[in-house]
Amino acid sequence: MISLLEVSGVSKTFDGFRAINNLSIQINEPELRAIIGPNGAGKTTFMDIVTGKTQPDSGQVLWGERNESLTGLSEAEIANRGIGRKFQKPTVFENQTVRQNLAMALKNPRGPLAALFFKEPRTDAVRINEIAGEIGLADQLPRPAGELSHGQKQWLEIGMLLAQDPRLLLVDEPAAGMTAEEREKTTDILKRAARTRSVVVVEHDMEFVRRLNCKVTVLHEGHVLAEGSLDHVTADPTVIDVYLGRSDA
Amino acid sequence: MTQGFIIHNRSMMRFIGLLGLFTLLVTLGSEAMGTGVISTSLVKTLGKTLCLCLIAIAMDVVWGYCGILSLGHFAFFGIGGYAIGMWLMYARTETIVTESLARQVIPPTPAEVTDAIGAQIFGVVGSSDFPVIWSFADSLILQLLMVVLVPGLLALVFGWLAFRSRVTGVYLSILTQAMTLALSLYLFQNDSGLRGNNGLSGLQNIPGFESTPQATISLVFFWGSALALGLGYMLFAFVVGGKMGSIVQGIRDNEARVRFLGYRVEGYKLFVFTLTAVVSGIAGALYYPQAGIINPAEIAPIASIYLAVWVAIGGRGRLYGAVIGAALVSLLSSWFTGGGAPDVNLGFYTVQWTDWWLVLLGVSFVCVTLFAPKGIGGLFDYLIRKPR
Repeated sequence: MISLLEVSGVSKTFDGFRAINNLSIQINEPELRAIIGPNGAGKTTFMDIVTGKTQPDSGQVLWGERNESLTGLSEAEIANRGIGRKFQKPTVFENQTVRQNLAMALKNPRGPLAALFFKEPRTDAVRINEIAGEIGLADQLPRPAGELSHGQKQWLEIGMLLAQDPRLLLVDEPAAGMTAEEREKTTDILKRAARTRSVVVVEHDMEFVRRLNCKVTVLHEGHVLAEGSLDHVTADPTVIDVYLGRSDA
Repeated sequence: MTQGFIIHNRSMMRFIGLLGLFTLLVTLGSEAMGTGVISTSLVKTLGKTLCLCLIAIAMDVVWGYCGILSLGHFAFFGIGGYAIGMWLMYARTETIVTESLARQVIPPTPAEVTDAIGAQIFGVVGSSDFPVIWSFADSLILQLLMVVLVPGLLALVFGWLAFRSRVTGVYLSILTQAMTLALSLYLFQNDSGLRGNNGLSGLQNIPGFESTPQATISLVFFWGSALALGLGYMLFAFVVGGKMGSIVQGIRDNEARVRFLGYRVEGYKLFVFTLTAVVSGIAGALYYPQAGIINPAEIAPIASIYLAVWVAIGGRGRLYGAVIGAALVSLLSSWFTGGGAPDVNLGFYTVQWTDWWLVLLGVSFVCVTLFAPKGIGGLFDYLIRKPR
């Protein structure tokens, strides 16, 4: 197990609001990690900073064995380093088929000319079928993604992340709006992915986090409040304070 | 994906077939072929319409497929026209000047010839010196290169600056409007080197073919326009058909998702913007020899807005939709504004179409936007595909 991502002392202020305040988190490879916290705790901003959408005011984001700094790189560069991101709202290309969605995400040269003259190798079709099976959409490949149910779109987006073959998956509220049965399936997909990769799941839903059965980091007002097993952090008096003080947890 | 590509190819083959048939019919009916069912001026109008269809499919690729609402593509069209117009005007004036000077007792020096050509061309703006931009005007090959290079480079630089700064949506549209407005205003100046508001004229006279009748010349240009439209259609069908098309449409629908998949969105936008600008330049270079004259009013901002209206009415995101929109609206426009449409006497008021055409166009645009967002091309979906 090696340290894959190291966020240390990162701060970010938006118009005077401290979204992230001296935040330090370390993710190993492979690892399944859940990040919980009330609204406004800085969960999404943390993801934005790691994926290059937002630049931190101070602090470091280091990646991989060579401790490469990710700050200052573009979203595409960071994605190609091996970080995949799933948005809170399912974002798939609704006008295109499930197959096209997965094919676009597959690890292949990313330049315009390479895409223009791209001829799909046979291995790609095999890989697409594999991933579709993994996310339970094997029989949906020719359908436009827009016709999928909410849960299926969430899985498709996770499938697109898997197709990118990243070392780290950042998954924002994967279970939102899902039925109990769908949640269970989502848990399985994420757990399986975390066998070989690092998976960071941001979630509101404690029941879902409990089922993931992994190390939990509690964020509050932009920094880490507690870290450990779910039972450990839920027994922490400061965590109880934060959660009981708010109704949206 | 393979299925989608075949469908695309099938519609492409259908289009090429129809275009070929149309070209054949016009050729058989033209004055050059002796039948004269189709007048030479109509052949010119149809040839010009094909050029407009070509820039419309370019617009469809950049807007309908890639989601960049460029309101400046007519600037590239105009630049293509100016580039070829410079050679046409220079070469023709050179022929005339050489002939008249040859009657003199003392043979003219090359400098005298050049001065005389300059005086002929720029006399209208009170000058006789050749500006720097006319350096290559004596070479057809170099000017043809300019048709491609100048719009391409302008689009490359403009696009690089805009896309790198992540200017999108309505802000980008405004920037492209500003670009075409600035270019048009600059060209209106007498010292712009392109004869100010006089523009370049006499472009229908092709140097070296003085004795060829206009009927033949117009037919040849019609063929050229049809060929260019066919090739352009195939090129764009290829671009939007494969993985490139998948990514480009992804950028239109959700740019951030494409970025987080690891694609450099700027590079793709720049590619599409520049490629469509080059095709627009070529379309312009074929259009203006048929129109005979180009002046800065041609690249006024409104022209690029019309282009967007054609594509919207024809149907965004499908190449044949853009062709339908451009052909239908531009032909109707010249019919209505050219006095072809009979006035409607309502008793208390006479509707004169030269005044009311724009109102009619505006109302149709609003109706299409409200009731048929996929445009005329979208109606084919209802006809071809059976309801599920």
